[in-house]
Amino acid sequence: MSSLTVRGLEAGYGGVPVLWGLDVDLLDGALTTLVGSNGSGKTTFLRSVMGLIRPWRGSVVLDGLDVTRLSAHEKADLGLVLVPEGRQLFTTMTVLENLEMGATVRRARPLMRATMDEVFAMFPRLAERRGQQALTLSGGEQQMLAIARGLMAKPKILLLDEPSLGLSPRVTMEMFTAIRALRRAGLTIVLVEQNVQLSLAIADHAYVLAHGRVELSGPAREVRELPAVRAAYLGAAE
Amino acid sequence: MNLGALLPSAIDGLLLGFVYGLAAMGLTLIFGVTRVVNLAHGQMIAMGMFVVLAVASGAGLNPYVGVLLAAVVGLAAGVVIYVVAVDRVINAPELTTLLATFAVNLIIIGTATTLLTTSPRAVDVDMGALRSGGVTVLGTHLVAVVIAVAAAGALYAFLFRTRLGKSIRAVAADRAAAELMGINSRRMLALAFGLGTALAMTAGALLATLFSFNVLSGGTYETKSFVIVVLGGLGNPTGALIGGLIIGLLEGVTAVVIPVSWVPVIEYAVFVLILLVRPRGLLGSRQ
Repeated sequence: MSSLTVRGLEAGYGGVPVLWGLDVDLLDGALTTLVGSNGSGKTTFLRSVMGLIRPWRGSVVLDGLDVTRLSAHEKADLGLVLVPEGRQLFTTMTVLENLEMGATVRRARPLMRATMDEVFAMFPRLAERRGQQALTLSGGEQQMLAIARGLMAKPKILLLDEPSLGLSPRVTMEMFTAIRALRRAGLTIVLVEQNVQLSLAIADHAYVLAHGRVELSGPAREVRELPAVRAAYLGAAE
Repeated sequence: MNLGALLPSAIDGLLLGFVYGLAAMGLTLIFGVTRVVNLAHGQMIAMGMFVVLAVASGAGLNPYVGVLLAAVVGLAAGVVIYVVAVDRVINAPELTTLLATFAVNLIIIGTATTLLTTSPRAVDVDMGALRSGGVTVLGTHLVAVVIAVAAAGALYAFLFRTRLGKSIRAVAADRAAAELMGINSRRMLALAFGLGTALAMTAGALLATLFSFNVLSGGTYETKSFVIVVLGGLGNPTGALIGGLIIGLLEGVTAVVIPVSWVPVIEYAVFVLILLVRPRGLLGSRQ
């Protein structure tokens, strides 16, 4: 069982608030999506949950343990793993080395070989390019590597920030197929996306953020049908 | 001008270049991983010299034991400097970290000058000499090259073959991403600072087997390290080694052609020229 409970999360940059008190609950084994326009606070939410930026107020509770003040590497150790926006690969290192670095935490290290076989089965192109520097991969391959590197850490909860950013429609579909497969395998996932239509289509639960607040939340299939959501994010005619 | 002296002087300079390169590798490693320009670098080179002095003249042991000890002391000293002076300002703007290491530099200079005085010192090492044709190469210089190359090789093996070394490279590539993968980035920054300082003190220890020195000798070598690091590309250890050879050779050749006191002028001229023409260094690191 893995659960994440976020209460009253406030955070910002240099005194300017971005999040105004967010409450988010993740269901075990479910795919939860956070959607919202640019600047609604999705990435800030993920970064402050991870501890990359220090939350001003509020709490982050992982499996009953208050982890609000822990640093990112300590949270990774507890199974909370973020695949960051813009991939942030170790570009000067090879595909293999990136994956090896993914398996840093105690839990994942002894399982490295087996996990590597799994991610290579999932993304065969990475296996072909294992000796190449991450810098030389295509955008799609880089995103695959970013997700694969995150999976190497054997996450209990995987946070994905804009995995379709800058990808062609075909590669985006590949990426969503992979995410869906992970969900089916029982992984608890948080998906932050600008592609609202696709993420609502594969998610179990959805939060709609606006101006650093949760505007509405509910089962994804219900959120998808709300007129306000259809008008604002899905391009439906008024 | 004595052209007959050109070859031996050039060879001497080239050999010395390995040691310069080793020192510069330390500076560039610290910068590449932590993004801190370590202004205590020269002083740590000088401290390496005094470790050899203490071991050889103080304890009466083989000076090369001192070289090994300098590396170990350097690793520990670098970690301590990072934890005490650098860690608290690691996310601050560059000027702040620059001033932090400058403060460390002044503290060490002040303490060392008081305790050790500025009188000149020398460690007597005789490793024989190699003669071929008109060229004589001192054994100490050859041993210094072997040790410098071995230390550089060990660093590379560590960075590319071990998990810990790869973690340091991961932090250098993207510190936030390394944290997200569970790497304790501050520990890696401290280790990188330790390794860089170990290289500086090892280089200083080797220089002590070649020349006389005093507490303030680090400054000259620090200047050379900066020129070399810029020449080889900031944050690029291979570039630093090659840059070291170039500066060593340049020094050897110019010393024959013009008075030795002009050597720093030439070096600074190269420094400015590189900054103007190829600000990313001759090897041009990728970022």
